[in-house]
Amino acid sequence: MELSFDLLINAVIAGILLGGFYTAVTLGVSISFGILDIVNIAHPAFIILGSYIAYIVNTRLGIDPIAVSILMLPVFYLLGAGVYQVYYESFERRGQESLRGLSFFFGLLFVTEVMLILVFGVDYRYVEAPYIGPSWRLGVMDFPLRMLVPCIAALTLFAALELYLSYTFIGRAIKAVAQDQLALRLMGASPVRIKRIAFGISIATASVAGALLIIIQPVEPSVGREYIGRVFAICVLGGLGSLPGTVIGAMLLGILESFTATFYGPSWAPAVAFGVLLLTLAFRPAGLLGR
Amino acid sequence: MIPRWKGLTLANSLTIEKIDAAYGAVRVLENVSLNVNTGETVVLLGTNGNGKSTLMKCVMGIVRPRAGRIVVEIDGERHDLIGRSTEQIVDLGIALVPEGRRLFPRLSVEENLLLGAFRRKARTALRANLDFCFECFPRLAERRAQLAGSMSGGEQQMLALARALMLSPRILLIDEPSVGLAPVLVSRTIDKIKELKDQYKLTVLMAEQNFPQALRIADRGYVIVHGQIAFEGRSADELNNNELIRKFYLGL
Ligand SMILES: Nc1ncnc2c1ncn2[C@@H]1O[C@H](COP(=O)(O)OP(=O)(O)OP(=O)(O)O)[C@@H](O)[C@H]1O
Ligand SMILES: [Mg+2]
Repeated sequence: MELSFDLLINAVIAGILLGGFYTAVTLGVSISFGILDIVNIAHPAFIILGSYIAYIVNTRLGIDPIAVSILMLPVFYLLGAGVYQVYYESFERRGQESLRGLSFFFGLLFVTEVMLILVFGVDYRYVEAPYIGPSWRLGVMDFPLRMLVPCIAALTLFAALELYLSYTFIGRAIKAVAQDQLALRLMGASPVRIKRIAFGISIATASVAGALLIIIQPVEPSVGREYIGRVFAICVLGGLGSLPGTVIGAMLLGILESFTATFYGPSWAPAVAFGVLLLTLAFRPAGLLGR
Repeated sequence: MIPRWKGLTLANSLTIEKIDAAYGAVRVLENVSLNVNTGETVVLLGTNGNGKSTLMKCVMGIVRPRAGRIVVEIDGERHDLIGRSTEQIVDLGIALVPEGRRLFPRLSVEENLLLGAFRRKARTALRANLDFCFECFPRLAERRAQLAGSMSGGEQQMLALARALMLSPRILLIDEPSVGLAPVLVSRTIDKIKELKDQYKLTVLMAEQNFPQALRIADRGYVIVHGQIAFEGRSADELNNNELIRKFYLGL
């Protein structure tokens, strides 16, 4: 009995920490897909790019991966703004965003992956940081720092984004842009500019998520694919367009996966995301906090 | 209440000269000229489908006229509007309360109002404008956290007006404020527009098909029929006493 209680509580903790990491991975998609209606399936590729940059700087200069990812935020922001501009000029402006836009992002995913393979090969890479390895223990509870630090970083990122969206003029315009573009123009804001900024921010989050990913696990160019299903499942579960919903969705999925792994075996965990996605679509298509 | 502006004010006027507009091959406006002088309330009267909204959209740069000029004077400075984007036109200080209100339905009342203050000049006046809106429309203050989409039609019209005021406009265009409102609400809304205009140093062009209500606050007006100005009333009396208007639109 004692033992299974330990198991239970640690499964919950592991799930919450994992959910924190999933939050970081999903926030960007929550903005691009949830708020801007842009189906950016290439998002995981940007995350992997973030992982590799953290890896290079960490191994060459010994700088902390999270610090690297914060320094890289402007670069990722500009990259995202550039990608949006191309997407806008080539697809959105002509009203061809749905299918052709999707293939554009698929292409982007593919090209990024291939480039990373060409440069780095398919070996797993990892980073070094003092918090990878040790654990905090609180009674029977176990907090591996390798998971705790990313969780805290992810929640900080969420808080910063939520404050930005709620308390700045641009942030509020980002929330409004998918609702009524003409009305937004009548407020004096250019929808294309607002979307470019929002997409830049969405890609900037991939820099942080990438660093967190390579802290949690070794990375090779195609591991991002494992997350595509989870990321969209979390978006839908939490409710499109709601960042708090994203956090709740990520935590729930993390806990469910952790329970599945603890009590049924790790090989079942990836199936959980699809189960969650299907159940949400069947019973609550708007998600938990959705629009 | 005491008007907040007195004495000398800088010119804020709108001049539309001989504009033509069309959707594809369908001509909607033909040779339309009208002007609104500083501090005036001018009404654009016309029944369904005669081109009122199209004219407003031309001013806002949403529809590009095929010919003609649209010039505004904002705080004494002249600007040609043709060729400018909607955002640039709004930035000059021209606001439109659009047909159908066009609120952001899934944002709160307060967020809608704050979006009204997006343009730089409005941001500096945000606090004062917000207080003014809440004082003018106490209902909006009570409902500030409610989603705009879940408000009643009358409340939504109030919010649309208030949001436009948040822009600190000099020239305000209002497209059919009476649509979808019960008769009491129509007259209350029209009164409110008059009150706002008087207090807020505004030049107003209002499109309406509710002639009697519009004429209550009009300084002057135009009747538009099939995309052409059919009659210009140089005073409210002239509009009220015109034979055609009495017969066809006022039902007297
Ligand atoms: N986007 C559009 N494409 C094609 N035709 C249009 C478009 N918008 C308006 N029209 C046509 O232009 C004409 C004038 O429309 P407009 O909306 O300006 O009229 P209105 O006076 O505002 O009418 P209402 O009182 O019903 O709002 C109508 O015949 C309408 O069908
Ligand atoms: Mg109309």
